[in-house]
Amino acid sequence: MDAISDMPLLEVERLCVEFDTRAGVVHGLRGVDLSIRRGETLAIVGESGSGKSVTAQAVMGLIDVPGRIVSGDIKWKGQSLLTGDGPKRAREIRGKEVSLIFQDPMTSLNPLLTVGAQIAEVLQRHLGMTKTQARTRVLELLEAVGIPAPPRRANQYPHELSGGMRQRIMIAMAIACEPQLLIADEPTTALDVTIQAQVLELIAGLQETLNLSVILITHDLGVVAGLCRRVAVMYAGRIVEMGLADDLFERPSHPYTQGLIRSTPRLDDRMNRLIAIEGSPPSLLSPPVGCSFRARCPIAVERCTEQPPLAVVHPGASAACWRPSVPAWQESPPLEAALT
Amino acid sequence: MSAALSLPPLADREPVLSVRSMTVEYEASRGGLWSKPSKVQALRDISFDIRPGETLGLVGESGSGKTTIGRAVLRRLDLADGRIFFRGRDITNVRGEELRKLRRHMQLVFQDPYASLNPRMRVLDIVAEPLIVYGIVKNADEARDEIGELMRLVGLPRDAHDRYPHAFSGGQRQRIGIARALALKPELIVADEPVSALDVSVRAQVVNLLQDLQKELGIAYLFIAHDLSVVRHISHRVAILHSGRLVEIADRDALYDNPQHPYTEALLSAVPVPDPRTQRARKRLIYRGDIPDVAHWPSGCHFHARCPLATERCSLQVPLLINKGEDHKVACWHR
Repeated sequence: MDAISDMPLLEVERLCVEFDTRAGVVHGLRGVDLSIRRGETLAIVGESGSGKSVTAQAVMGLIDVPGRIVSGDIKWKGQSLLTGDGPKRAREIRGKEVSLIFQDPMTSLNPLLTVGAQIAEVLQRHLGMTKTQARTRVLELLEAVGIPAPPRRANQYPHELSGGMRQRIMIAMAIACEPQLLIADEPTTALDVTIQAQVLELIAGLQETLNLSVILITHDLGVVAGLCRRVAVMYAGRIVEMGLADDLFERPSHPYTQGLIRSTPRLDDRMNRLIAIEGSPPSLLSPPVGCSFRARCPIAVERCTEQPPLAVVHPGASAACWRPSVPAWQESPPLEAALT
Repeated sequence: MSAALSLPPLADREPVLSVRSMTVEYEASRGGLWSKPSKVQALRDISFDIRPGETLGLVGESGSGKTTIGRAVLRRLDLADGRIFFRGRDITNVRGEELRKLRRHMQLVFQDPYASLNPRMRVLDIVAEPLIVYGIVKNADEARDEIGELMRLVGLPRDAHDRYPHAFSGGQRQRIGIARALALKPELIVADEPVSALDVSVRAQVVNLLQDLQKELGIAYLFIAHDLSVVRHISHRVAILHSGRLVEIADRDALYDNPQHPYTEALLSAVPVPDPRTQRARKRLIYRGDIPDVAHWPSGCHFHARCPLATERCSLQVPLLINKGEDHKVACWHR
């Protein structure tokens, strides 16, 4: 297939999203920049509340009351989706050229319709297919996502399928209109590990055969490693590090990324003790001034009260840190340290 | 920190918990009001030991029965067959007051730190409740000092006492749950997915805490999880459960470096490693098909439909869990 083209498909610029809650305004996204080109795979990694899903929702136009996009822009093939007649265009694009897979395949399918009917609905709505055309295409799609005996499965209801099967149905639905960009929001988190491997293999295969751009949103660094070329690490509503996956895993620049990689237990590793990042992420009701990781960062200095920009650290990698690439965590802290 | 307990080497300790040929059945739906309920076998012929100060990691996919093992061990379920011994004593049929006394020594840590703490109780009351229930103290305030010590042990600030659970993050709540489990100084803690609801950076804190507590107090853990990477870190021995049967049980490194059962191999190869270069180089064994459902388990070895080694024998006869190496048990006809 053709390689990654130069023209960005999607650009997110200085995007800020806020949510009104009873406790006050939650600053969910605080100036997020990213772009993805045709055929590229990008992972957005972060913990709960970091803003990774909000980013996806904003792109999909799913930010609804009490949330709102306060500033920034989302561009599709160079044209804004937020200003002018953008919102109208956005409605045509979403679901067709950009599609989304959610985490939980059980709650995102309609329990009262057969899975075949649900996929056909997408085809009829976006591509204007007739019932018979849609029916044929549904069977092809089920075949493409590796579901055995498509004619029988198409007539089943979601509860008759296993979690892995349901996620395959969601993927079939997402690729039904041959999208250019697929956003997968924690697509395998609800699945068992052997099923997860099957689903990831499926997404990787489709990415290649359809030359899809994929944005994979996950908290699992292992899932990223197998699937994505580029990685963006989010913390407290901002991107703190961005770079090529190979590079980022080998020499992470931001102390948070360093800590994240070192606190993840590895199957192939005998290390007896994990690095623990003490404390927990800040509340986004009143985000701290300056670097949000400051309070948990072992190498924080006075300057960190000033927000560091996302700047190039070495070719292909940028980080929002005043002291990038300084080793932040000791190899193996003494056993007693954690208790006293 | 107080000196670690002086215990003999792991292998020489008498097991704190022994499970022998445990079978658990659940009642499935009835055909009608007067017809006999049908039964499904959730667990079949499960045997294992846990020694003091040891962690046995119990791994299985959803529906394999790992939570049922935890519940059966804590005597929250009756067995259809088999025996459970706690410190050498048969507790299979212990009931009533005796069971209540027994439960002091075996505690549970739950998966969901949001659902397992009463939002209307102060942390002090939550942690003191087991002590009050067992009549060790009359009220929470009497236990303040003791609970202060527990708080220090699990790394919570002293002023946490009078606050309510909502004031704490997920990781801190899990620490409260652990403090509650420790209050009665149990010898065995069943931890059912204790870290899977936590974020990566916080998960490491809790894993480290569990390890430190074990070193200091000599507690045995039955650590139930689906995450093989975490299990490798925390366990001394690991048991792999597949569809209600143990298919392999061995020392941690033996199991991870030299897996014997084809299911264990598949499981290990499916776990992604957070390192792109390593991950690309790994050979993944992806076996088609789904995990069999508890109500429709196949005959013979439950894995035979997905297994590349399967022969006719595998679909007819159940392989027994037998020793294939030094303390490395495998249930497979071909290994």
